[in-house]
Amino acid sequence: MAIERLLKDEATEEKGERARMASFIGAMAIADLVKTTLGPKGMDKILQSTDRGRSLTVTNDGATILKSLHIDNPAAKVLVDISKVQDDEVGDGTTSVVVLAGELLREAEKLTMAKIHPMTIIAGYRMAAECARNALLQRTMDNKQDPEKFREDLMKIAITTLSSKILSQDKEHFAKLAVDAVMRLKGSTNLEAIQIIKKAGGSLSDSFLDEGFILDKKIGIGQPKRIENAKILVANTAMDTDKVKIYGARVRVDSMAKVAQIEAAEKEKMREKVQKIVAHGINCFVNRQLIYNFPEELFADAGILAIEHADFDGIERLALVTGGEIASTFDNPESVKLGHCKLIEEIMIGEDKLIHFSGVEMGQACTIVLRGASSHVLDEAERSLHDALCVLSQTVNDTRVLFGGGWPEMVMARQVDELARRTPGKKSHAIEAFSRALQIIPTIIAGNAGLDSAELISQLRAEHHKENSKAGIDVITGNVGDMEKLGISESFKVKQAVLLSATEAAEMILRVDEIITCAPRKREDRM
Amino acid sequence: MAAVAHIAQPRAAAPSSSKTESYVDNKRREDVRMANIQAARAVADAVRTSLGPKGMDKMIASASGEVVITNDGATILNKMEVLQPAAKMLVDLSRSQDAAAGDGTTTVVVLAGALLGACQGLLTRGIHPTTISDAIHKSCAKAVDILQAMAVPLELTDRESLIKSAATSLNSKVVSQYSSLLAPLAVDAVLSVVDPARPDLVDLRDIKIVKKLGGTVDDTELVKGLVFDKKVSHSAGGPSRMENAKIAVIQFQISPPKTDIEQSIVVSDYSQMDRILKEERNYILGIIKKIRATGCNVLLIQKSILRDAVTDLSLHYLAKAKILVIKDVERDEIEFITKTLNCLPIANIEHFREEKLGFADCVEEVSVGEGKIVKIMGIKDMGRTTTVVVRGSNQLVIDEAERSLHDALCVVRCLVNKKFLIAGGGAPEIELSRQLGAWAKELTGMESYCVKEFAEALEVIPYTLAENAGLNPIAIVTELRNKHAQGEINAGINVRKGQITNILEENVVQPLLVSTSAVTLATECVRMMLKIDDIVTVR
Repeated sequence: MAIERLLKDEATEEKGERARMASFIGAMAIADLVKTTLGPKGMDKILQSTDRGRSLTVTNDGATILKSLHIDNPAAKVLVDISKVQDDEVGDGTTSVVVLAGELLREAEKLTMAKIHPMTIIAGYRMAAECARNALLQRTMDNKQDPEKFREDLMKIAITTLSSKILSQDKEHFAKLAVDAVMRLKGSTNLEAIQIIKKAGGSLSDSFLDEGFILDKKIGIGQPKRIENAKILVANTAMDTDKVKIYGARVRVDSMAKVAQIEAAEKEKMREKVQKIVAHGINCFVNRQLIYNFPEELFADAGILAIEHADFDGIERLALVTGGEIASTFDNPESVKLGHCKLIEEIMIGEDKLIHFSGVEMGQACTIVLRGASSHVLDEAERSLHDALCVLSQTVNDTRVLFGGGWPEMVMARQVDELARRTPGKKSHAIEAFSRALQIIPTIIAGNAGLDSAELISQLRAEHHKENSKAGIDVITGNVGDMEKLGISESFKVKQAVLLSATEAAEMILRVDEIITCAPRKREDRM
Repeated sequence: MAAVAHIAQPRAAAPSSSKTESYVDNKRREDVRMANIQAARAVADAVRTSLGPKGMDKMIASASGEVVITNDGATILNKMEVLQPAAKMLVDLSRSQDAAAGDGTTTVVVLAGALLGACQGLLTRGIHPTTISDAIHKSCAKAVDILQAMAVPLELTDRESLIKSAATSLNSKVVSQYSSLLAPLAVDAVLSVVDPARPDLVDLRDIKIVKKLGGTVDDTELVKGLVFDKKVSHSAGGPSRMENAKIAVIQFQISPPKTDIEQSIVVSDYSQMDRILKEERNYILGIIKKIRATGCNVLLIQKSILRDAVTDLSLHYLAKAKILVIKDVERDEIEFITKTLNCLPIANIEHFREEKLGFADCVEEVSVGEGKIVKIMGIKDMGRTTTVVVRGSNQLVIDEAERSLHDALCVVRCLVNKKFLIAGGGAPEIELSRQLGAWAKELTGMESYCVKEFAEALEVIPYTLAENAGLNPIAIVTELRNKHAQGEINAGINVRKGQITNILEENVVQPLLVSTSAVTLATECVRMMLKIDDIVTVR
């Protein structure tokens, strides 16, 4: 074939029907993989890594699962990407978005089999998505004016988000933690200011919120363990030995005394550096790199609390919350911004000693200390809490709230169905299909909970045929319930993002009619 | 890709069945769950026989040929190197128990195994995993309440009770015959490091355990002072005993100078060689003179990777100056040492001042068995630390004695943290089982069924205790159940007598924290395992 010669050896090309089929299959497989994690009774997965440590992750978070998969199928990669984007943008709904996209493609597959042109399907999907979005917009609730009610909304959203995670048993506790933490941010979405520290031991319900900042480090020997009104200099500078960095520099001397002199001179350099640092008028010095014995002693003599080898993340956050800047030269004390806090002290959590900075400059900052049985529990708890924090901080900015439990999907499905009836032409098939795909989400939630999904969904649909219905699936009792009474809420922003990105992803995959796989790079050494 | 294709194939073959597919392929998921449970139970069975005072030990030969004999659940599991993910979770579970309570590491794994067995039964009856998970969580909360109601409050001044509970922990170990010695030792060690300002906190890092081969476990002793598992460096004839010691902890080296910048000494003729040697001597002599001037007579020198901490020459001069030298002190020990000696480390000779020194009545080298240790006794203003010298006839015994002592220390620490005692000998478990069983009858639906299974699973502890002690487990457990039904909530298995007695009177007690954390951690682990429906291999 002529075309074969266009491409390199081993490069492959799939066309038309085959290409579309390949991408459908890939995308649906991905959606099927994660769909059992959906909903409050969703299951977890073990991710077993193939590296030497064979480390384990147990997770319910769609984004985490998808991120770590080996994927070869290009369409599947698109789905992984949208879940990543969803994670970055709103933090939650990472599974929903993939499942919805998968369902849209499943429906599209049937339509293409019925010889409907992909472009017609896309046009129908677009109309349907627009209509669905409007339907949601009409039904949003906004309690922005009433802070108390708004807080209640936040609590509900947090509880709903957390109920599908490992934290579900202590969801009230954690919802409160998350809401308190986010309220402290006062509208900023800078989650950097919320620090999460994981300490094994105790149980999940022992976790607590602490105002201020906690650094998992030790205070140097012989230095004060408690400082009030601390002035903090955060630095990233080499303190172990200040090497004279002239490449190939070499000193030739002719006596031992001179070597001693050089050594003394080096020590003197170190001392000068410490003196320069001390001259900033600080009483706490935090360095990212090691502070070795000699400077440590000098600091101790000056009554300065010196913390060495703080990790990079910790340093940046500490600088942020105390209002300081990370310094690496110390010649101009006036130009360096120092951090401030009211009190530095050593505290004990579990078996470990940590350093606690309270009354920090940036009032928003706080730390959530997570306790749990094992590192798996802690890691998963952190992911779950992170999701909740993301959603909450988004909701604080966009205060529109929806009910949960499959309610939004049913509202959208109903409107989309009506649109389908009004729309002439083949597009209406696609619109109908869109509505079916939307209804799959509550179906899966019910199915994961081991309920009779077909029965429940038909009940729910009937319920939603009435105006202003608040019905959704109550997974706990296994019935259709009133979402307002059950206090199940979701953020509008999350739902909107799920809807729009899933539609876009499905559209993108539908447009594909040819997959060209480039020839893999040769790895001769391994062959 | 392989995994993806594998899942995708059946779906592509039957695209028309998509509407109802949420009910289809549960087969594989069930398989994964069952496989996990079986693997975890296998792990639990492996350590089951080491439970209790008559439990057996395990010998573990590691890949490097090293042999460990132990009764400590956490240690056994740690050395097992399991690969199956679910089995690994059980290993982590025992590690968490070790961190939380220090003792009961076998109990927690056996309990998790029994709970998983119960779950397996429930799953095969088609109960949804999350329903089971919720039910056992509720049971667990209830169980903790029951345990708390059973517990007896304790005062820290009540040394007897503390010793009893330490002894209970030690009784199940190799070193059980020494429990009368080790238990008071553990109690004293912990109590001596409790800071009166913060009575709830005990940092076990303030207790240093030094292991020394030779003698028997009987010779284990608590030292009010500091012990180094090192020799005094007296190759040049320095003193090995010093009274009224003034001790300096130094972080610099007494050896010819070395700079960070690359340097070389150029010797152009041989008369210069003499001069250089002389200069080196003077340099070291200068340092030692400064040290001597402060009255210091004991030097602890930190190990340095850059250059020799001391040379033969400097040792010689130090010996002449009658200074006792201990070299190669690790950097991470410095904090402990300075805390104990109540002194400050000195990083530069220029800062060598008297106020940074620590004082002690006596520093001496003692020969113990084959080796020698250095003891520092009678420290002035000693910090809240303590040292235990563990002795034993061979390395395996010493290691096991250390682990047992660690457990006993943890037990005492638990009591300091949470001042409640609870009966041992299977009494709390059987009582839990009874009360939860009664509670299950008040509930309805699936929950009731799951709680009942949970309650029954708890009986595994007394059952295993009896089994390991060579008693008839069924007879013992039923009798125990009977006693508890009659209101004797402290009836437990007396393994020594082989019958049921009031276990509180037998002085078999353990901290409440050990029991509660075993139940909660085991439940948490089981719930996590129940929720897993797939194992995905990733990068």
